[in-house]
Amino acid sequence: MSGASIYASRRAGSLYIAPFAIGFLLFTAFPFIASFILSLTDARLQDQLGDAHFIGWSNYAGMWSDATFRKSLGVTFFYVFVTVPLKLAFALLIAVVLNFKLRGIGLFRTAFYLPSILGGSVAIAVVWRFVFAGDGLVNQFLHGAGIGGVNWLGEPSTAMFSIILLRLWQFGSAMVVFLAGLKAIPEDLYEAADIDGASRLRQFWMITLPLLTPVLFFNFIMQIVQAFQEFNGPYIITGGGPMKSTYLLPLMIYEEAFKYFNLGYSSALSWVLFVIIALFTALAFWSQRFWVFYAQERSDKGGH
Amino acid sequence: MNTSSVILDQVTKSFSGHDVIKGVSLEVKKGELVVFVGPSGCGKSTLLRLIAGLETPSSGRIDIAGENVTYAHPSKRGVAMVFQSYALYPHMTVEDNIGFALRIKGMPRVEIKLKVRAVAETLQLGHLLHRLPKALSGGQRQRVAIGRAMVREPDVFLFDEPLSNLDASLRGQMRVEIAGLHARLGATSVYVTHDQVEAMTLADKIVVLNGGRIEQAGPPMELYRRPANLFVATFIGSPGMNILPATLAGAERDQVTVTTAQGPISLPRVNANIVTGAEVSLGLRPESLSLTTAGKGQLSGYVNLIERLGGETFAYIALKGFEAPPIIVRLDGDVELRVHDEVHLAIDGQRAHLFGADGLALGHVPDTKERG
Amino acid sequence: MSTASVHGWRRHLPLINAFIRYGLLIGIGFLMLYPLFWMIGGAFKNNHEIFASPGFIPAHPTTDGFTKGWKTSTEYTFATYLLNTMKIVIPKVILTVISSVIVAYGFARFAIPGRKLLFALLMATVLLPKSVLLIPQYLMFREFGWLDTYLPLYIPQAFAVEGFFVFLIIQFMRSLPVDMEEAAVMDGCNSFQVLTLIVCPVILPAIISVALFQFMWSMNDFLQPLIYLSSVEKYPVALALKMSIDVTEATSWNEILAMSVIALAPSLILFFVAQKYFVEGVTSGAVKG
Repeated sequence: MSGASIYASRRAGSLYIAPFAIGFLLFTAFPFIASFILSLTDARLQDQLGDAHFIGWSNYAGMWSDATFRKSLGVTFFYVFVTVPLKLAFALLIAVVLNFKLRGIGLFRTAFYLPSILGGSVAIAVVWRFVFAGDGLVNQFLHGAGIGGVNWLGEPSTAMFSIILLRLWQFGSAMVVFLAGLKAIPEDLYEAADIDGASRLRQFWMITLPLLTPVLFFNFIMQIVQAFQEFNGPYIITGGGPMKSTYLLPLMIYEEAFKYFNLGYSSALSWVLFVIIALFTALAFWSQRFWVFYAQERSDKGGH
Repeated sequence: MNTSSVILDQVTKSFSGHDVIKGVSLEVKKGELVVFVGPSGCGKSTLLRLIAGLETPSSGRIDIAGENVTYAHPSKRGVAMVFQSYALYPHMTVEDNIGFALRIKGMPRVEIKLKVRAVAETLQLGHLLHRLPKALSGGQRQRVAIGRAMVREPDVFLFDEPLSNLDASLRGQMRVEIAGLHARLGATSVYVTHDQVEAMTLADKIVVLNGGRIEQAGPPMELYRRPANLFVATFIGSPGMNILPATLAGAERDQVTVTTAQGPISLPRVNANIVTGAEVSLGLRPESLSLTTAGKGQLSGYVNLIERLGGETFAYIALKGFEAPPIIVRLDGDVELRVHDEVHLAIDGQRAHLFGADGLALGHVPDTKERG
Repeated sequence: MSTASVHGWRRHLPLINAFIRYGLLIGIGFLMLYPLFWMIGGAFKNNHEIFASPGFIPAHPTTDGFTKGWKTSTEYTFATYLLNTMKIVIPKVILTVISSVIVAYGFARFAIPGRKLLFALLMATVLLPKSVLLIPQYLMFREFGWLDTYLPLYIPQAFAVEGFFVFLIIQFMRSLPVDMEEAAVMDGCNSFQVLTLIVCPVILPAIISVALFQFMWSMNDFLQPLIYLSSVEKYPVALALKMSIDVTEATSWNEILAMSVIALAPSLILFFVAQKYFVEGVTSGAVKG
């Protein structure tokens, strides 16, 4: 940082970040550790915590014989592995189409961005439920086209499809980030490539994509973290069903704790979810050096 | 009466173990305009920031207007600063920018308004008071920045390279304005620049800094005429002083003789306490060389390049037998000269400089009468 | 001449290009926004018409859905739920903005012991899944006696718990030249005055972004109220909507759609009024960094 002595006071600086330090200890660090400790107990929601017993790793060991957990884990991975790449690809595609000086392009950006602002709400989940209901919007269209209706939310595969579609529908925030990344690529690189005779497609692969990797990395991390935590959509649209086909881990964590009162087991599940997300993020950060291209060395700015 | 406005006493500053200011002592008299000049990284900005209170010295003492302010808050030491970037508050009008310090002080609104108006009139900003900084030209922003300093009626004005963000023509104009303002207000000012023309034209006193130390301090012409060392000699003056290697052949009471690649040259000089055979540098300003006929001058060579500026001409001359780069000679605007011509040069011995191997000036000219 | 015709065709390439782009964008845009159009249209239809045709323009517009939906199936009108939502969202936004700005200022400008570690922890909170904290937080707030109150929903925000917002403001602050703050110090400000009088007005766009995002996210928040609130009279809109589909779904779609429109209206209006702040907010974290 700059050596300005007006900001040299460690005491003042500590005072400013004190809210974070306190909040972090109280609302993040403590619950984080407490949930691990809880995961080693048989604590129940309705009982005093003092009545709980340490049962070692039983909660974790029990998961492997729990068919619901295995199902939920599989469903979660399927959901994440399908939505994240599709959403990123779609966001990038539309961003590239939008990155063009045309009249009214701002209007389209707004239109595509809107769903990602509203998409997490209960209201949208409710609409989604109506859209895919037996006598809902999609089936009305299908009837109109002479095709028999599909029981979208009643069949495991199509229920999952509806949930996935809701996530893809919200590609806007990733798109806006891509768009800003595209705008930051200097125009003269493309002009130079034109003179070198590179085709548009080649320019995309040789210039656009490499220079976009930092933004892609950011989007990838955010999407992974968010997708693993999806709750509202499946909870309201399908309730996790049918036959647990949309029973994502966050739903199971919630129901184990607040429906079946198994705080210990639920905590263990939440730690499994945490470890999964941590592994994916760590992997992404580690792999960064192989595929993320930073144009400038990143150093702390300022100083004299 | 105390005539000193700023006194620095053995001030040092280091940033994470790296010494930036290595013991600077300096006195700025009341009403003086002192310019800190030096190459980038010489510590001139840090020194200014130490006076401003934006940095705290690692050791030493700073007095302003007779008070020890070494550790005082920047706003409590009677200084005001004009920043290189102007640092205007973008969300405030010109009026609010200028009046901000008074507002913080808790001065009544009516009084602030009057003071701001008065300052704005002085700086011809009266019609711009309700504009935001983004709606001002570079020169106008500069004046607002000065106004913001003026309104506080400080003991000392500090200027941190205030003209470096302006384009060349505006820079010249603002330089004249600042000089005029200083003449009118008679305010004590410390001014930092890397531009030695700015330093020469504005300063009552120039302080040449290098590597965190003062190389020399004094009136501009004093530094120009009698540079204390090689660094000051080459830093002050444009184009710079020519430096030629030589050895000391002998010293008499009021004359020294040096040997160059083109033979011996005698210069009037006293008190040059050095041993014969020592390596020295001969310093010749472009205007202390003149053309002469064969056999009369002390140096000869061939014209390498001619720059005609209209009123004057600079000739680059490769001296015979020297390894050194061509020397620059200042000549009349319409001198008859062509590239590859052989020329003979006469040295004005009164204005030649000698520097020892340690870079320090050797002796001085016996006749100290100043010449134009 | 064949070269001439190629030339002629090539001349229209930009036009064709634009045509394809517009076509693609309009097509996808319409498809994407159709559910929203349908929701709004459906809110003004009668139930029979909703099931009869997939079009979105009501043939016989009626405000029945709104009047009946507003009454809700509970003893409270929808106004209660909207008001409840505001009772949660407004303190949450205010606390978030204040605490994030203060903490960001500390991180962006001050020499703090252990700054690197603290910053790493801040970023870690962005990536940490909330569900791992859910149960202990619940138990903690139960100990505090805060269940069935709004306190668990916004008190943590007073402590800059959303690392994303702090990070966003840090990025903005770092892009400011320090000169301006030094000038303010020379003008007599202490650091808190520098923050409130100089830094905050200058980074106002970032502050607005944070406020808007927190507003939207809090409007959408469902899980937290679901866990902490048990009395219907304290329900925010999100819970009320979920409750109404459980009760009346089979029959009165127009009522539910109408209430969905109302539930989304604040967010929709804010989005259209201030969309540039959303774009700035979502991109500044990713691109500047």
